[in-house]
Amino acid sequence: MNIRHSLLLSALGCALPLLAAPAVPAAPEYEFFIAANINRNYVIGSKIVTTNGVFRRDDAGAWQHVGYNDTGISAFAFDPRDRNVIYTTTINGLWRSLDGGKLWRICNDSEMTEGLDVAVDPNAPDHVYLALPDGIAFSSDRAQHLERREHGLPARGKFTRALAIDRTRAGRVLAGCEIGIYLTEDAGKNWRQVLPTKDTVADIQQSPHDPRIWFAVTQSAGAWRSADGGLTWIHVPAAPGDRPLYNVTFDVTNPNRLAIGSWGRGVWTSEDGGQTWADRNAGLPAGARVWRVGVDPAGRLFASVVEETLFQSADFGRTWRPDALAGSAVKKFLLLPKAVK
Amino acid sequence: MKRPLCLLPLLALVGLRLAAQPSFEGPVPSTLPEVDEDRRRAAYVRRVDEMLGWAAAGGKAQTADPARLDLAMIAAKIVRGEDLPGCSQRVIDLMREPGTGPFWMFPSVCIAYLGRDRLSPEALASIRTAWKTTRQLRGDTENHFMMYYASLYLMAELYPDEPAETWYSGRSSAENLAEASAFLIKWFDTTTTVGQGEFNTSNYIGEYAIPLSFLANWSKDPAMRQRASMMLDWLFAELATSSLNGVLRGPHSRTDEGAVIERWQAMTSFFSWLLFGNTPPTAGYSGWGLYFAPLAKTYHLPEVIYRIATDRRGDFIQRDRARVRRFWRYSDELSPPVYKTNYLRRDYGVGSTTGGLIDPIQSHVWDVTWAEPDPRGKHPTMFSMHPHSSSRSLQSSFTAYPEPWIKGVTFEGKPSYDSPDKLMGSSPYEQVFQDLDTVIALYAIAPGERFPHINGFFSKDLINVTEDASGWIFAQGGRAYLAYRPLAGYHWIPYLHYKSGWAKERLDLGGRVLTSPHLNNGTIVQAAGVGEFADFAAFQRAIRALPLAFKLDPLPAVEMTTLRGNKISFAFGTVPQVNGRAVDYRDWKLFEGPHLNAEVGGRKLTITHGRLERVLDFNTLSVTDRVK
Repeated sequence: MNIRHSLLLSALGCALPLLAAPAVPAAPEYEFFIAANINRNYVIGSKIVTTNGVFRRDDAGAWQHVGYNDTGISAFAFDPRDRNVIYTTTINGLWRSLDGGKLWRICNDSEMTEGLDVAVDPNAPDHVYLALPDGIAFSSDRAQHLERREHGLPARGKFTRALAIDRTRAGRVLAGCEIGIYLTEDAGKNWRQVLPTKDTVADIQQSPHDPRIWFAVTQSAGAWRSADGGLTWIHVPAAPGDRPLYNVTFDVTNPNRLAIGSWGRGVWTSEDGGQTWADRNAGLPAGARVWRVGVDPAGRLFASVVEETLFQSADFGRTWRPDALAGSAVKKFLLLPKAVK
Repeated sequence: MKRPLCLLPLLALVGLRLAAQPSFEGPVPSTLPEVDEDRRRAAYVRRVDEMLGWAAAGGKAQTADPARLDLAMIAAKIVRGEDLPGCSQRVIDLMREPGTGPFWMFPSVCIAYLGRDRLSPEALASIRTAWKTTRQLRGDTENHFMMYYASLYLMAELYPDEPAETWYSGRSSAENLAEASAFLIKWFDTTTTVGQGEFNTSNYIGEYAIPLSFLANWSKDPAMRQRASMMLDWLFAELATSSLNGVLRGPHSRTDEGAVIERWQAMTSFFSWLLFGNTPPTAGYSGWGLYFAPLAKTYHLPEVIYRIATDRRGDFIQRDRARVRRFWRYSDELSPPVYKTNYLRRDYGVGSTTGGLIDPIQSHVWDVTWAEPDPRGKHPTMFSMHPHSSSRSLQSSFTAYPEPWIKGVTFEGKPSYDSPDKLMGSSPYEQVFQDLDTVIALYAIAPGERFPHINGFFSKDLINVTEDASGWIFAQGGRAYLAYRPLAGYHWIPYLHYKSGWAKERLDLGGRVLTSPHLNNGTIVQAAGVGEFADFAAFQRAIRALPLAFKLDPLPAVEMTTLRGNKISFAFGTVPQVNGRAVDYRDWKLFEGPHLNAEVGGRKLTITHGRLERVLDFNTLSVTDRVK
């Protein structure tokens, strides 16, 4: 894997990685989650007639609902120590449950609203980060209290769509904002821009195989790759860049495989670490409008197609078949190492 | 896809086929002021009773079937003491399926308070249980937050000292109260210092006035009661100053397709009917208006506000400030200021903002509107606009992924958003200057913009529309003469009317749209009273004689002398000049005019009519009345 990775870096013209290559750990077992809105006709105040929110894919391939029936979940996270601790971002902000979804607490007040992403630091699991339309909030106590941590973010342009925590080091977080990617290495006390962009960064992901490798996609500025833990980024010219890219995902079973979900470009995949990309929309509904793509622990590729349903592919996008959750809009796929509890 | 949460209030206006709503169906009321205070109050009470009676009789359903009672009908029945056991049972039934946001929260709070000593313990408990089991969405607009927090505040006061696990929020009564109180106090502070983001709305006035009336009556905190009571005066004073014969005039931060054309078709007309008695109420009292009724008799409209609303003997101009809705992205400021002008005369009104993007979907920037003896079904307005449709503009205010939104909003309450012939909305490519009853609107539309043209509205209710060889288009609306000058070539298309924001079908009721397919463009409208000229021909001669020069390239610019003798110089992207002096918007106050005055940051509004004066001072939470 490391040899292949070095070759890739050379091909992309990268500097040598600044961080030491990690030892290859034993492959963890993973769980696969989504946040899906199925109630397509919901308007605030109306009756919710379907089951929405977070779902876990069980061993039989069925989606098991987790937590509250909420039509507006934009992102979610778990405490890595305990799956009963759930965080969801919604229009209200951030909700938290400590008991597997029986009781929920809204964590923010009126000064924070419309939570867009939430992330829990695996190396400091009481630490929670919240992406907001006007910045970033932090909690050191599992979101019992939230505070703004925005020093170094711009006064304007700090609309934050995505948060990604470096799993190798506590307090190291990348934020996808309106005008670029920002990095903190001290739990949000200080941020600095590591990539300026002309439009909002929609998603940032760290490779599950090599923590130095990161990918980011943007609203209108294409895809970007970092090989040094997010310190420097290079544009990925082969990835589609003329339409909004909503998310990017790695394949936990194969370090060379990535997929992008796009409005207007649908599903694109790479099987050489991002050097080349292929259109994988054949077999999907017309329009190439995809909310999100995700890859489950077995390497199956999933795509949430706008106004359609969830599709899955056993051959990384070459063929597709409908999955369950007809009419769903998936706002987040999340692949997590299995928790103790 | 995220749903546009701002749309639901308009649901209340949809499909209301009504019977036995006396004032709606009856003759148009007199616009003459009632000077006798007792008679004025008695008429107000009669109007309140009309609403309560209509709602208690079944409202829009017009049925006594208990199974069809909604919370507004139940509220009316509680006030009237009718069938309280039936109301209790119906509340229990309704609470089995609670709603999920502020439009459910405030009605349920209304019942919880009204029913305290009227409904059964089981019914009251069912409301309280719903507030435990069902997550409430706070929404994404100013009016959502107002309804949400006013409701949460009152429920937390009604059920104090209860633990976190008994509330949907997972917060204790004390925590809920503190959170709600903090928001409300900040909202009062923001509104009284830099103005509302949702200013002069056609339909959202109720979303403020109703929660405020609840707070003014039911809050345990006398300071909160006082703030809310004072803010009701504030809102209604703005309505009084911005309306002509009960119909709201001028620009709106938010409106809908129906109200921007049929100007009377708005919740503000309902409030004018209720408070001032000078226009018919809207169908079903605009739906939500019924929730103002239960406490309406506790509100006493100050005479000074009533006189402002009903006295149009003299012309006046009001210059005010407000705010743009929050721009999360693509703006140097979160809520840039808005500068509003409203010039009202006996027979017509002219109002505007300075243009630019205000709300991405629902704004109305400027118009000339005229008085109609009966405003129902009339389209008494003239304006132009750029039909801007852009995912980037939507992104500025909405956090959802923008690409689905253009289609989404057209299906969910804003059917015209992506239509080239639409007549609602603001545009970053429009700049407007108003001097009394002259409006100059300039357009510099970016190449590649989705709709590269402007639309001008010509009502079915205009008469004598004349396309003059001079380039002016002359017309008469009511007792207003109108001159419309397109600055570029145009053609006509039929106007198709939406009854409201939720109406998908379009009706050919008459009227035309002047469409001018040029990127650099402009419109000049000059209005005048019929009584100012010997005849229509004399008005036309006067307009033709006005010094006017304009160019469109490289950017549109106009130099003209208005009918009032003022020399205007206005070029796109520059500061307008009047008689050689630049207009400095930075100097504009929060309110400035003969009737409303307030400094930016002052937290104090002075309301004046003649010798009457009321001062609402939020610094001291005091109200001072005097006769000067």
